[in-house]
Amino acid sequence: MKVGILSFQGSFLDHSKSISEIGFNPLLIKQSKDLDFIDALILPGGESTAMKKINEFSGLLSKLDQIIKDGIPTLTTCAGTILLAKEVIGGEETIPNIDIEITRNAYGRQTESFEGNVKFFENEDIYCFIRAPKISKILSDEVDIIAEHNDEIVGAAQKNVVALTFHPELNNDEYYLNWLYDFILEGKNVRSF
Amino acid sequence: MKIESTDKVKKGLAEMLKGGVIMDVVNAEQAKIAEKSGAVAVMALERIPADIRADGGVARMSSVSVIQEVMESVSIPVMAKARIGHFVEAQMLDSLGIDFIDESEVLTPADEVNHINKHNFKAPFVCGATGLGEATRRIAEGASMIRTKGEAGTGNVVEAVRHMRTITNELNEVIACDEHEIVALSKKFRAPLNVLEEIKELNKLPVVNFAAGGIATPADAALMMQLGCDGVFVGSGIFKSGDPSERAEAIVIATTNFNDPKVLAEVSKNLGEPMVGINIDTLSEEEKLARRGW
Repeated sequence: MKVGILSFQGSFLDHSKSISEIGFNPLLIKQSKDLDFIDALILPGGESTAMKKINEFSGLLSKLDQIIKDGIPTLTTCAGTILLAKEVIGGEETIPNIDIEITRNAYGRQTESFEGNVKFFENEDIYCFIRAPKISKILSDEVDIIAEHNDEIVGAAQKNVVALTFHPELNNDEYYLNWLYDFILEGKNVRSF
Repeated sequence: MKIESTDKVKKGLAEMLKGGVIMDVVNAEQAKIAEKSGAVAVMALERIPADIRADGGVARMSSVSVIQEVMESVSIPVMAKARIGHFVEAQMLDSLGIDFIDESEVLTPADEVNHINKHNFKAPFVCGATGLGEATRRIAEGASMIRTKGEAGTGNVVEAVRHMRTITNELNEVIACDEHEIVALSKKFRAPLNVLEEIKELNKLPVVNFAAGGIATPADAALMMQLGCDGVFVGSGIFKSGDPSERAEAIVIATTNFNDPKVLAEVSKNLGEPMVGINIDTLSEEEKLARRGW
Protein backbone atom coordinates (compact mmCIF):
# COMPACT_ATOMS: atom_id res chain seq x y z
CA MET A 1 0.00 0.00 0.00
CA LYS A 2 1.31 3.42 -0.96
CA VAL A 3 0.41 6.37 1.22
CA GLY A 4 0.98 9.82 -0.27
CA ILE A 5 2.01 12.47 2.23
CA LEU A 6 1.76 16.13 1.24
CA SER A 7 5.35 17.31 1.85
CA PHE A 8 5.40 21.03 1.15
CA GLN A 9 6.44 21.71 4.72
CA GLY A 10 5.59 20.60 8.28
CA SER A 11 5.49 17.26 10.08
CA PHE A 12 5.48 15.10 6.95
CA LEU A 13 8.49 13.03 8.08
CA ASP A 14 6.71 12.14 11.33
CA HIS A 15 3.72 10.85 9.34
CA SER A 16 6.11 9.05 7.04
CA LYS A 17 7.56 7.24 10.05
CA SER A 18 4.07 6.20 11.23
CA ILE A 19 3.31 4.77 7.78
CA SER A 20 6.60 2.82 7.71
CA GLU A 21 5.89 1.49 11.19
CA ILE A 22 2.64 -0.13 10.09
CA GLY A 23 4.37 -1.70 7.10
CA PHE A 24 3.11 0.55 4.27
CA ASN A 25 5.14 2.67 1.84
CA PRO A 26 5.18 6.43 2.44
CA LEU A 27 5.47 8.59 -0.68
CA LEU A 28 6.50 12.24 -0.15
CA ILE A 29 4.54 14.47 -2.52
CA LYS A 30 5.82 17.94 -3.42
CA GLN A 31 4.81 18.37 -7.06
CA SER A 32 2.23 16.83 -9.38
CA LYS A 33 4.93 14.66 -10.96
CA ASP A 34 5.42 12.92 -7.59
CA LEU A 35 1.83 11.75 -7.76
CA ASP A 36 2.01 8.09 -8.49
CA PHE A 37 -0.85 5.72 -7.85
CA ILE A 38 -1.59 6.09 -4.15
CA ASP A 39 -3.93 4.15 -1.87
CA ALA A 40 -4.34 6.76 0.84
CA LEU A 41 -3.42 10.38 1.52
CA ILE A 42 -2.17 12.38 4.52
CA LEU A 43 -2.13 16.18 4.81
CA PRO A 44 0.17 16.99 7.75
CA GLY A 45 0.45 19.84 10.23
CA GLY A 46 2.63 22.86 9.58
CA GLU A 47 1.74 26.41 8.57
CA SER A 48 -1.30 26.53 6.30
CA THR A 49 -0.34 29.97 4.88
CA ALA A 50 3.08 28.62 3.82
CA MET A 51 1.54 25.47 2.32
CA LYS A 52 -0.90 27.55 0.26
CA LYS A 53 1.95 29.70 -1.05
CA ILE A 54 4.10 26.69 -1.96
CA ASN A 55 1.07 25.23 -3.74
CA GLU A 56 0.85 28.28 -6.03
CA PHE A 57 4.07 27.10 -7.68
CA SER A 58 2.98 23.51 -8.33
CA GLY A 59 -0.82 23.62 -8.34
CA LEU A 60 -0.70 20.24 -6.67
CA LEU A 61 -3.65 20.81 -4.34
CA SER A 62 -6.24 21.01 -7.11
CA LYS A 63 -5.11 17.54 -8.25
CA LEU A 64 -5.29 16.25 -4.67
CA ASP A 65 -8.78 17.79 -4.41
CA GLN A 66 -9.99 15.54 -7.22
CA ILE A 67 -8.37 12.45 -5.72
CA ILE A 68 -10.03 13.17 -2.36
CA LYS A 69 -13.42 13.71 -4.04
CA ASP A 70 -12.93 10.39 -5.84
CA GLY A 71 -12.94 8.75 -2.39
CA ILE A 72 -9.34 8.01 -1.35
CA PRO A 73 -8.94 7.55 2.46
CA THR A 74 -7.59 10.92 3.62
CA LEU A 75 -6.25 11.86 7.05
CA THR A 76 -5.51 15.49 7.94
CA THR A 77 -3.92 16.94 11.06
CA CYS A 78 -3.83 20.59 12.20
CA ALA A 79 -2.86 22.73 9.15
CA GLY A 80 -3.94 19.89 6.86
CA THR A 81 -7.42 20.14 8.39
CA ILE A 82 -7.49 23.88 7.63
CA LEU A 83 -6.75 23.10 3.96
CA LEU A 84 -9.81 20.79 3.73
CA ALA A 85 -12.32 22.77 5.82
CA LYS A 86 -15.35 24.25 4.11
CA GLU A 87 -15.13 27.48 6.10
CA VAL A 88 -12.03 29.02 7.69
CA ILE A 89 -12.16 31.76 10.33
CA GLY A 90 -8.92 33.81 10.23
CA GLY A 91 -7.94 32.44 6.83
CA GLU A 92 -9.31 31.37 3.47
CA GLU A 93 -10.76 28.09 2.30
CA THR A 94 -8.44 26.06 0.06
CA ILE A 95 -9.87 22.74 -1.17
CA PRO A 96 -13.10 22.25 0.84
CA ASN A 97 -13.76 18.56 1.40
CA ILE A 98 -15.30 18.41 4.86
CA ASP A 99 -18.31 20.36 6.08
CA ILE A 100 -16.77 21.99 9.13
CA GLU A 101 -15.97 25.54 10.13
CA ILE A 102 -12.44 25.82 11.47
CA THR A 103 -10.93 28.69 13.47
CA ARG A 104 -7.18 29.18 13.06
CA ASN A 105 -4.90 29.57 16.13
CA ALA A 106 -8.05 29.27 18.23
CA TYR A 107 -6.29 28.52 21.53
CA GLY A 108 -3.82 31.41 21.16
CA ARG A 109 -0.07 31.54 20.63
CA GLN A 110 2.57 28.85 21.28
CA THR A 111 2.55 29.58 25.03
CA GLU A 112 -1.05 28.27 25.01
CA SER A 113 -0.07 25.07 23.15
CA PHE A 114 -0.70 22.02 25.32
CA GLU A 115 -0.90 18.31 25.84
CA GLY A 116 -4.44 17.24 26.62
CA ASN A 117 -6.61 14.16 26.95
CA VAL A 118 -8.47 13.18 23.79
CA LYS A 119 -11.20 10.65 23.27
CA PHE A 120 -10.35 9.39 19.77
CA PHE A 121 -13.00 6.92 18.59
CA GLU A 122 -13.12 4.38 21.46
CA ASN A 123 -9.78 5.22 23.05
CA GLU A 124 -8.61 7.92 25.46
CA ASP A 125 -5.01 9.17 25.39
CA ILE A 126 -2.93 12.34 25.71
CA TYR A 127 -2.04 14.20 22.51
CA CYS A 128 -0.28 17.46 21.53
CA PHE A 129 -2.16 20.54 20.37
CA ILE A 130 0.30 22.99 18.78
CA ARG A 131 -1.04 26.45 17.94
CA ALA A 132 -4.02 24.34 17.07
CA PRO A 133 -7.17 25.35 15.20
CA LYS A 134 -10.64 24.57 16.58
CA ILE A 135 -13.48 22.87 14.78
CA SER A 136 -15.90 25.66 15.66
CA LYS A 137 -18.99 24.40 13.77
CA ILE A 138 -20.23 21.26 12.12
CA LEU A 139 -21.95 22.36 8.92
CA SER A 140 -23.85 19.25 7.82
CA ASP A 141 -25.31 16.08 9.28
CA GLU A 142 -23.00 14.05 7.05
CA VAL A 143 -20.20 14.87 9.50
CA ASP A 144 -19.49 12.61 12.47
CA ILE A 145 -17.65 13.72 15.57
CA ILE A 146 -14.86 11.22 16.17
CA ALA A 147 -12.58 12.96 18.70
CA GLU A 148 -13.21 15.20 21.68
CA HIS A 149 -11.10 17.08 24.23
CA ASN A 150 -13.03 18.39 27.25
CA ASP A 151 -16.28 18.62 25.22
CA GLU A 152 -14.55 20.40 22.34
CA ILE A 153 -14.66 18.79 18.91
CA VAL A 154 -11.08 17.96 17.88
CA GLY A 155 -11.78 15.35 15.20
CA ALA A 156 -14.45 15.01 12.52
CA ALA A 157 -15.13 12.57 9.71
CA GLN A 158 -17.12 12.77 6.50
CA LYS A 159 -17.13 10.05 3.86
CA ASN A 160 -13.46 9.21 3.21
CA VAL A 161 -11.98 12.15 5.18
CA VAL A 162 -10.82 12.14 8.81
CA ALA A 163 -9.81 15.61 10.02
CA LEU A 164 -8.01 16.13 13.35
CA THR A 165 -6.73 19.27 15.09
CA PHE A 166 -4.15 17.42 17.23
CA HIS A 167 -1.01 15.42 16.40
CA PRO A 168 -1.27 11.61 16.77
CA GLU A 169 1.87 11.32 14.57
CA LEU A 170 3.95 12.77 17.42
CA ASN A 171 2.77 9.89 19.67
CA ASN A 172 2.52 6.88 17.37
CA ASP A 173 0.72 5.01 20.15
CA GLU A 174 -0.57 1.52 19.51
CA TYR A 175 -4.24 2.49 19.26
CA TYR A 176 -3.52 5.20 16.68
CA LEU A 177 -1.27 2.97 14.56
CA ASN A 178 -3.87 0.16 14.60
CA TRP A 179 -6.60 2.61 13.67
CA LEU A 180 -4.40 4.09 10.89
CA TYR A 181 -3.74 0.61 9.49
CA ASP A 182 -7.47 -0.14 9.29
CA PHE A 183 -8.28 3.31 7.93
CA ILE A 184 -5.81 3.01 5.07
CA LEU A 185 -7.15 -0.41 4.16
CA GLU A 186 -10.86 0.22 4.63
CA GLY A 187 -11.39 3.94 5.01
CA LYS A 188 -13.39 4.64 1.86
CA ASN A 189 -16.28 5.43 4.12
CA VAL A 190 -15.29 6.15 7.68
CA ARG A 191 -18.78 5.67 9.06
CA SER A 192 -18.80 2.04 8.07
CA PHE A 193 -16.42 0.97 10.83
CA MET B 1 -6.52 17.33 31.55
CA LYS B 2 -4.50 20.08 29.90
CA ILE B 3 -0.78 20.85 30.47
CA GLU B 4 0.83 23.77 28.66
CA SER B 5 4.45 24.26 27.58
CA THR B 6 5.61 20.68 28.00
CA ASP B 7 8.88 19.60 26.42
CA LYS B 8 6.91 17.70 23.80
CA VAL B 9 4.76 20.71 22.90
CA LYS B 10 7.87 22.92 22.60
CA LYS B 11 9.70 20.46 20.36
CA GLY B 12 6.42 19.90 18.51
CA LEU B 13 6.29 23.49 17.22
CA ALA B 14 9.80 23.06 15.80
CA GLU B 15 8.55 19.88 14.07
CA MET B 16 5.76 21.90 12.42
CA LEU B 17 8.28 24.45 11.08
CA LYS B 18 10.32 21.76 9.33
CA GLY B 19 10.92 22.17 5.62
CA GLY B 20 10.11 25.86 5.97
CA VAL B 21 11.81 29.25 5.88
CA ILE B 22 12.02 31.62 8.86
CA MET B 23 12.63 35.23 7.86
CA ASP B 24 14.11 38.22 9.72
CA VAL B 25 11.81 41.26 9.70
CA VAL B 26 12.08 44.70 11.32
CA ASN B 27 8.47 45.93 11.12
CA ALA B 28 4.85 44.93 10.43
CA GLU B 29 5.16 45.70 6.72
CA GLN B 30 8.10 43.31 6.25
CA ALA B 31 6.37 40.69 8.42
CA LYS B 32 3.33 40.77 6.14
CA ILE B 33 5.53 40.42 3.05
CA ALA B 34 7.25 37.44 4.68
CA GLU B 35 3.93 35.78 5.59
CA LYS B 36 2.54 36.37 2.09
CA SER B 37 5.70 34.92 0.58
CA GLY B 38 5.24 31.65 2.49
CA ALA B 39 7.46 32.06 5.56
CA VAL B 40 6.62 29.52 8.31
CA ALA B 41 7.66 32.05 10.98
CA VAL B 42 9.28 35.46 11.30
CA MET B 43 12.08 36.71 13.54
CA ALA B 44 11.19 40.17 14.88
CA LEU B 45 14.27 42.39 15.06
CA GLU B 46 15.08 46.06 15.42
CA ARG B 47 17.98 45.76 12.99
CA ILE B 48 18.88 42.88 10.68
CA PRO B 49 22.30 41.27 11.24
CA ALA B 50 23.97 43.06 8.28
CA ASP B 51 23.06 46.40 9.87
CA ILE B 52 24.06 45.28 13.37
CA ARG B 53 27.42 44.36 11.85
CA ALA B 54 27.71 47.74 10.07
CA ASP B 55 26.54 49.84 13.02
CA GLY B 56 28.72 48.23 15.69
CA GLY B 57 28.10 48.96 19.38
CA VAL B 58 26.12 46.78 21.77
CA ALA B 59 23.27 44.85 20.14
CA ARG B 60 20.43 44.10 22.59
CA MET B 61 16.96 42.56 22.53
CA SER B 62 14.71 44.48 20.12
CA SER B 63 12.33 47.08 21.48
CA VAL B 64 9.11 45.67 22.88
CA SER B 65 7.06 47.88 20.55
CA VAL B 66 8.73 46.45 17.41
CA ILE B 67 8.15 42.90 18.66
CA GLN B 68 4.51 43.55 19.54
CA GLU B 69 3.90 45.32 16.23
CA VAL B 70 5.14 42.23 14.39
CA MET B 71 3.17 39.85 16.66
CA GLU B 72 -0.04 41.74 15.92
CA SER B 73 0.52 41.88 12.17
CA VAL B 74 0.80 38.18 11.22
CA SER B 75 -0.86 34.83 11.99
CA ILE B 76 2.34 32.75 11.71
CA PRO B 77 4.65 32.17 14.73
CA VAL B 78 6.85 35.10 15.78
CA MET B 79 10.35 34.62 17.19
CA ALA B 80 12.61 37.17 18.88
CA LYS B 81 16.22 37.23 20.02
CA ALA B 82 17.62 37.52 23.54
CA ARG B 83 21.33 37.98 24.29
CA ILE B 84 23.32 34.89 25.29
CA GLY B 85 22.91 34.45 29.04
CA HIS B 86 20.48 37.38 29.38
CA PHE B 87 17.68 35.51 31.12
CA VAL B 88 15.81 38.72 31.94
CA GLU B 89 15.47 39.63 28.25
CA ALA B 90 14.17 36.08 27.78
CA GLN B 91 11.72 36.49 30.69
CA MET B 92 10.39 39.66 29.07
CA LEU B 93 9.94 37.94 25.70
CA ASP B 94 8.20 35.04 27.46
CA SER B 95 5.82 37.45 29.18
CA LEU B 96 4.91 39.02 25.82
CA GLY B 97 3.75 35.56 24.68
CA ILE B 98 6.42 35.22 21.97
CA ASP B 99 6.26 31.88 20.11
CA PHE B 100 10.01 31.11 20.11
CA ILE B 101 13.08 32.70 21.73
CA ASP B 102 16.43 32.73 19.89
CA GLU B 103 19.31 32.94 22.37
CA SER B 104 21.50 34.51 19.76
CA GLU B 105 25.16 35.21 19.12
CA VAL B 106 24.04 37.96 16.71
CA LEU B 107 23.39 40.10 19.80
CA THR B 108 26.19 41.07 22.16
CA PRO B 109 26.53 38.34 24.83
CA ALA B 110 25.47 39.27 28.37
CA ASP B 111 27.29 36.39 30.09
CA GLU B 112 30.68 35.10 28.98
CA VAL B 113 30.34 31.75 30.79
CA ASN B 114 26.70 30.72 31.02
CA HIS B 115 23.79 30.34 28.67
CA ILE B 116 20.17 30.70 29.83
CA ASN B 117 18.55 27.78 31.67
CA LYS B 118 15.89 27.32 29.03
CA HIS B 119 13.79 24.74 30.89
CA ASN B 120 12.11 27.43 32.99
CA PHE B 121 10.31 29.19 30.15
CA LYS B 122 6.90 28.79 28.54
CA ALA B 123 8.27 29.60 25.08
CA PRO B 124 10.58 27.13 23.32
CA PHE B 125 14.18 28.19 22.53
CA VAL B 126 16.36 27.91 19.45
CA CYS B 127 20.15 28.23 19.82
CA GLY B 128 23.08 28.39 17.41
CA ALA B 129 25.80 25.74 17.22
CA THR B 130 29.07 25.29 15.34
CA GLY B 131 29.47 21.61 16.24
CA LEU B 132 27.90 18.73 18.14
CA GLY B 133 29.30 19.74 21.53
CA GLU B 134 27.69 23.15 21.39
CA ALA B 135 24.42 21.70 20.04
CA THR B 136 24.15 19.09 22.80
CA ARG B 137 25.06 21.55 25.56
CA ARG B 138 22.23 23.81 24.37
CA ILE B 139 19.83 20.82 24.24
CA ALA B 140 20.81 19.90 27.80
CA GLU B 141 20.02 23.49 28.84
CA GLY B 142 16.54 23.06 27.34
CA ALA B 143 16.77 24.20 23.69
CA SER B 144 13.92 22.75 21.59
CA MET B 145 15.59 23.55 18.28
CA ILE B 146 19.15 24.02 17.01
CA ARG B 147 20.45 26.07 14.09
CA THR B 148 23.89 26.42 12.59
CA LYS B 149 25.50 29.70 13.59
CA GLY B 150 26.96 30.33 10.16
CA GLU B 151 28.18 33.92 9.96
CA ALA B 152 25.14 36.19 10.18
CA GLY B 153 24.92 39.34 8.08
CA THR B 154 27.56 38.31 5.55
CA GLY B 155 25.45 36.74 2.79
CA ASN B 156 28.22 34.11 2.68
CA VAL B 157 27.10 30.54 3.22
CA VAL B 158 30.56 29.04 3.82
CA GLU B 159 30.39 29.09 7.63
CA ALA B 160 26.90 27.55 7.73
CA VAL B 161 28.20 24.75 5.50
CA ARG B 162 31.20 24.25 7.78
CA HIS B 163 29.00 24.09 10.88
CA MET B 164 26.47 21.72 9.32
CA ARG B 165 29.18 19.38 8.05
CA THR B 166 30.84 19.41 11.48
CA ILE B 167 27.58 18.63 13.27
CA THR B 168 26.78 15.81 10.81
CA ASN B 169 30.26 14.25 10.97
CA GLU B 170 30.33 14.36 14.76
CA LEU B 171 26.78 13.03 14.93
CA ASN B 172 27.77 10.10 12.70
CA GLU B 173 30.72 9.38 14.96
CA VAL B 174 28.37 9.10 17.95
CA ILE B 175 25.80 6.99 16.08
CA ALA B 176 28.50 4.59 14.85
CA CYS B 177 30.43 4.35 18.12
CA ASP B 178 30.73 1.27 20.30
CA GLU B 179 28.90 1.60 23.66
CA HIS B 180 32.29 1.64 25.42
CA GLU B 181 33.41 4.70 23.45
CA ILE B 182 30.54 7.02 24.30
CA VAL B 183 32.06 8.48 27.49
CA ALA B 184 35.27 9.28 25.62
CA LEU B 185 33.22 10.98 22.88
CA SER B 186 31.35 12.95 25.52
CA LYS B 187 34.72 14.19 26.77
CA LYS B 188 36.06 14.81 23.24
CA PHE B 189 33.09 16.92 22.13
CA ARG B 190 32.40 18.40 25.59
CA ALA B 191 28.91 16.96 25.06
CA PRO B 192 26.56 15.97 27.93
CA LEU B 193 26.50 12.16 28.15
CA ASN B 194 22.71 11.89 28.49
CA VAL B 195 22.16 13.78 25.23
CA LEU B 196 24.71 11.57 23.42
CA GLU B 197 22.89 8.49 24.74
CA GLU B 198 19.63 9.91 23.42
CA ILE B 199 21.27 10.52 20.01
CA LYS B 200 22.51 6.94 19.94
CA GLU B 201 19.04 5.64 20.69
CA LEU B 202 17.30 7.83 18.08
CA ASN B 203 20.12 7.73 15.48
CA LYS B 204 19.68 11.49 15.09
CA LEU B 205 19.63 14.75 17.05
CA PRO B 206 16.68 14.79 19.48
CA VAL B 207 15.60 18.22 18.15
CA VAL B 208 15.11 19.87 14.77
CA ASN B 209 18.23 21.46 13.21
CA PHE B 210 17.88 24.45 10.87
CA ALA B 211 20.47 26.27 8.77
CA ALA B 212 21.27 29.90 9.56
CA GLY B 213 23.93 32.54 9.00
CA GLY B 214 24.76 33.68 5.47
CA ILE B 215 21.94 32.19 3.36
CA ALA B 216 21.20 34.65 0.55
CA THR B 217 19.93 32.74 -2.49
CA PRO B 218 17.51 29.89 -3.32
CA ALA B 219 20.60 27.80 -4.17
CA ASP B 220 22.09 28.48 -0.70
CA ALA B 221 18.86 27.31 0.95
CA ALA B 222 18.74 24.14 -1.19
CA LEU B 223 22.43 23.47 -0.48
CA MET B 224 21.80 23.52 3.27
CA MET B 225 18.73 21.27 2.85
CA GLN B 226 20.73 18.78 0.78
CA LEU B 227 23.36 18.79 3.53
CA GLY B 228 20.62 17.55 5.87
CA CYS B 229 19.19 20.65 7.55
CA ASP B 230 15.49 20.56 8.49
CA GLY B 231 14.75 24.09 7.28
CA VAL B 232 16.38 27.52 6.93
CA PHE B 233 16.59 30.91 8.57
CA VAL B 234 17.16 33.81 6.18
CA GLY B 235 18.24 37.00 7.86
CA SER B 236 19.69 39.86 5.91
CA GLY B 237 19.44 37.93 2.61
CA ILE B 238 15.84 38.90 1.88
CA PHE B 239 15.30 42.50 2.89
CA LYS B 240 18.83 43.55 1.82
CA SER B 241 18.17 42.31 -1.71
CA GLY B 242 16.72 44.11 -4.76
CA ASP B 243 13.24 42.53 -4.69
CA PRO B 244 12.51 41.09 -1.22
CA SER B 245 9.10 39.62 -2.02
CA GLU B 246 10.26 37.73 -5.13
CA ARG B 247 13.41 36.50 -3.40
CA ALA B 248 11.49 35.38 -0.31
CA GLU B 249 9.07 33.36 -2.44
CA ALA B 250 11.90 31.83 -4.46
CA ILE B 251 13.72 30.74 -1.29
CA VAL B 252 10.51 29.18 0.07
CA ILE B 253 9.93 27.18 -3.13
CA ALA B 254 13.62 26.19 -3.23
CA THR B 255 13.53 24.94 0.37
CA THR B 256 10.59 22.62 -0.37
CA ASN B 257 11.98 21.44 -3.73
CA PHE B 258 15.63 21.36 -2.62
CA ASN B 259 16.31 18.16 -4.57
CA ASP B 260 14.98 19.39 -7.90
CA PRO B 261 17.61 21.46 -9.80
CA LYS B 262 15.11 22.35 -12.56
CA VAL B 263 12.82 24.01 -10.05
CA LEU B 264 15.80 25.72 -8.38
CA ALA B 265 16.92 27.16 -11.74
CA GLU B 266 13.40 28.29 -12.58
CA VAL B 267 12.76 30.14 -9.33
CA SER B 268 16.20 31.77 -9.51
CA LYS B 269 15.35 33.52 -12.80
CA ASN B 270 14.95 37.32 -12.77
CA LEU B 271 15.44 37.63 -9.05
CA GLY B 272 17.27 40.94 -9.11
CA GLU B 273 20.35 41.72 -7.09
CA PRO B 274 21.20 39.52 -4.09
CA MET B 275 22.67 41.21 -1.04
CA VAL B 276 26.33 42.12 -1.41
CA GLY B 277 28.29 39.48 0.46
CA ILE B 278 31.34 39.70 2.71
CA ASN B 279 34.31 37.38 2.38
CA ILE B 280 34.87 35.67 5.73
CA ASP B 281 38.69 36.05 5.30
CA THR B 282 38.32 39.82 5.52
CA LEU B 283 36.70 39.59 8.97
CA SER B 284 38.96 39.70 11.99
CA GLU B 285 38.42 37.05 14.68
CA GLU B 286 36.71 39.71 16.83
CA GLU B 287 34.25 40.45 14.03
CA LYS B 288 33.10 36.83 13.74
CA LEU B 289 29.79 36.42 15.55
CA ALA B 290 30.02 32.59 15.53
CA ARG B 291 32.82 32.80 18.13
CA ARG B 292 30.23 34.00 20.67
CA GLY B 293 28.70 31.24 22.82
CA TRP B 294 30.34 28.72 25.12
